[in-house]
Amino acid sequence: MLKTYSKIKKYILASMILAPFLPFIIVLGIGFYYFTSSIENSTLAGLKQTVSDHRQMIDTFLQERKSDLIFISKAYGPETLLKQASIQKAYNDLNSKSRAFVDLGVFDENGIHRSYSGPYQLTLKNYENEFWFKQVMKKGTYISDIFLGYRQVPHFVIAVTSRVNSHVWIIRATIDTKQFSDLVEKVQFGRTGEAYILNTSGIFQTTRRSGGNLMETDSEFTQFPYSDNGIMHFIENIKTGKKFLYTSTFLTEKDWLLVVRQETAEVFRQLHTASYLIILISLSGGAVIFSIAIVLTNRIINRIRQIDNKNELITQQLIHATRLSELGEMAAGFAHEINNPLQIIKNEQSLLLLMIEEINKSSSAIQPQTNKEINDSLEQIAIQISRAAKITQAILKFGRKEKPSMSQIELQSFIPEIINMVKGKATVNDISILKYFPENAAPIVCGDPSQLQQVLLNLLNNAIDAICEANDSTGGVIKIEIALPDTSTVEISVSDNGIGINPDNIEKIFAPFFTTKPMGQGTGLGLSVCYGIIKNMGGEMTVSSNKNDGTEFKIQLPAA
Amino acid sequence: MEHNHILIVDDEERVLSTSSKLLSQKGFQVSTASNAKEALALIGQKAIHVVVMDIKMPGMDGIEALKIIKQQYPLIEVIMLTGHATVETAIEGLQSGAFDFLIKPADIDELAQAISRASEKRDQIETKIRMAQTKHYMKSPREIIKSTSS
Repeated sequence: MLKTYSKIKKYILASMILAPFLPFIIVLGIGFYYFTSSIENSTLAGLKQTVSDHRQMIDTFLQERKSDLIFISKAYGPETLLKQASIQKAYNDLNSKSRAFVDLGVFDENGIHRSYSGPYQLTLKNYENEFWFKQVMKKGTYISDIFLGYRQVPHFVIAVTSRVNSHVWIIRATIDTKQFSDLVEKVQFGRTGEAYILNTSGIFQTTRRSGGNLMETDSEFTQFPYSDNGIMHFIENIKTGKKFLYTSTFLTEKDWLLVVRQETAEVFRQLHTASYLIILISLSGGAVIFSIAIVLTNRIINRIRQIDNKNELITQQLIHATRLSELGEMAAGFAHEINNPLQIIKNEQSLLLLMIEEINKSSSAIQPQTNKEINDSLEQIAIQISRAAKITQAILKFGRKEKPSMSQIELQSFIPEIINMVKGKATVNDISILKYFPENAAPIVCGDPSQLQQVLLNLLNNAIDAICEANDSTGGVIKIEIALPDTSTVEISVSDNGIGINPDNIEKIFAPFFTTKPMGQGTGLGLSVCYGIIKNMGGEMTVSSNKNDGTEFKIQLPAA
Repeated sequence: MEHNHILIVDDEERVLSTSSKLLSQKGFQVSTASNAKEALALIGQKAIHVVVMDIKMPGMDGIEALKIIKQQYPLIEVIMLTGHATVETAIEGLQSGAFDFLIKPADIDELAQAISRASEKRDQIETKIRMAQTKHYMKSPREIIKSTSS
């Protein structure tokens, strides 16, 4: 049985956990996927927008500086700028607009530095073989990569050509590397976000906050994917163990790569928070489902167990009732068989009495003492026959299977009639019988009036006997109460202040042939018959008693 | 005591012998039969007035025999005396025309009283019948004159 329960429990528990858990996990999974994708996309879009804005700003800066040079060349004319005073003035003009210029110089077509305004001594130096010089001569305008040059300081230049009377002049300005680096680096996002520029060979053109000086080679550069105009992004695991999200794009004004990178842990912090939250929800949801499943399963199992126990009890009661009924029939058969010999004994006893009388009338009379003894014996035989007859008649009543004649019994008029039947006996024993009937109701039950009368008479007689036994019938009280515990039930209780029932006997009180009365005074069938009658009426009969305090019998019947 | 011929029917031999002795002492003329069939045969032969009969007997039971007796000899009164005393059998017996229903073990005086009452009842009925018959055969003086004159 226990094994079956644990098996059922396992099945119920498994179904109760799996049934809500599977959809819960699926919904959570789908939600998680869409939620994280959405966060990832919006984060990336934000980063790309930052890169795009920053590129535009740097491009604008470079474009403006280039335009500044073209303007100076046009406004002053290269030949005018050969004069030291003019170039100094032009340099001042440039710096008054933007403090990005370090110096300004004019070169002839042979690469000779003809005039110069700035902190270094570069006049008359030959730049014919310099890479930037060749490029500007070829393209007309040129922005160089960072290089050391004669000054041996990392810097980059913007140069433009100007043609005057078949002579080509080159006007060149050096850009303040620090200011340019600040401009590139100033973009701020998060704690680990940083921006820097690499040339096409992967050499730093601006410094990088987290390490990377000018003109050093970026070790991660080789892995950068190329795209001419798009903004690329990828995630790279740096040797230190940190993961970065890179976003890169080429500038328009110069073939430099603007790189913006941020640690993925920071970029996707929101995503991670969401993930932790979802894991937390899953765990707590799972725990709730699990606990509810356990509680419900235990309740279901307990309920099944209760029902099983009840069924078991009902089966036992049924077996008991069947046995009782069989016993009743058998007893009735025995009683009938016993009544026949009793009749014979009774007849024989009567005959013996007659014979004794005959003998006494004759001359050979029996001695008075012997005669008395014989008469005593004959009397005893008569007493014992009627005692046995009482028992057999009670058995016959107990075992009978007659159909009760059902009718509606109005208790408020029915019970007083029964009380009247025992009133005489009660008065003789100085016992008062008190009635407690409901005032605004007329309780009616359905049953055989003679059977119900038998039950109540039995209870009243028992109550009188109990009182007589307890206090020699002084101050004895019997209470009959009708109560209506609910609309479908009528409860009749008969209580007395008699001797009470011994706790050992209370369980056996309704069993057939059980009696506490002295030998010869009770058959032990009264209460068991009453119990059977009430059961047949669809009711219940219970008893509660305290030794030496009194007894209360309660009959609950369905209301008609 | 001319109408006190009793027939006791019971399958117990000793019941028959003791009851018949006791009732004889009380002045009844007693015949006995140990089953219903024998009883019916005896009733046909002798003028029985009251029958005292058990219910549970081998062969035909007491109730069946009672019905036959009341059908064939309506004047005979029957008293049922049985150990199987249930309300149903009592009602069935009384409905089928039994005069009384006594439960074993019955006191002989009780039985004798029941027989006497049954006997009285039978006497009353017989008297009534006799008077009715007399009335039927006897003509009034006016009728005698009438018949003579015609």
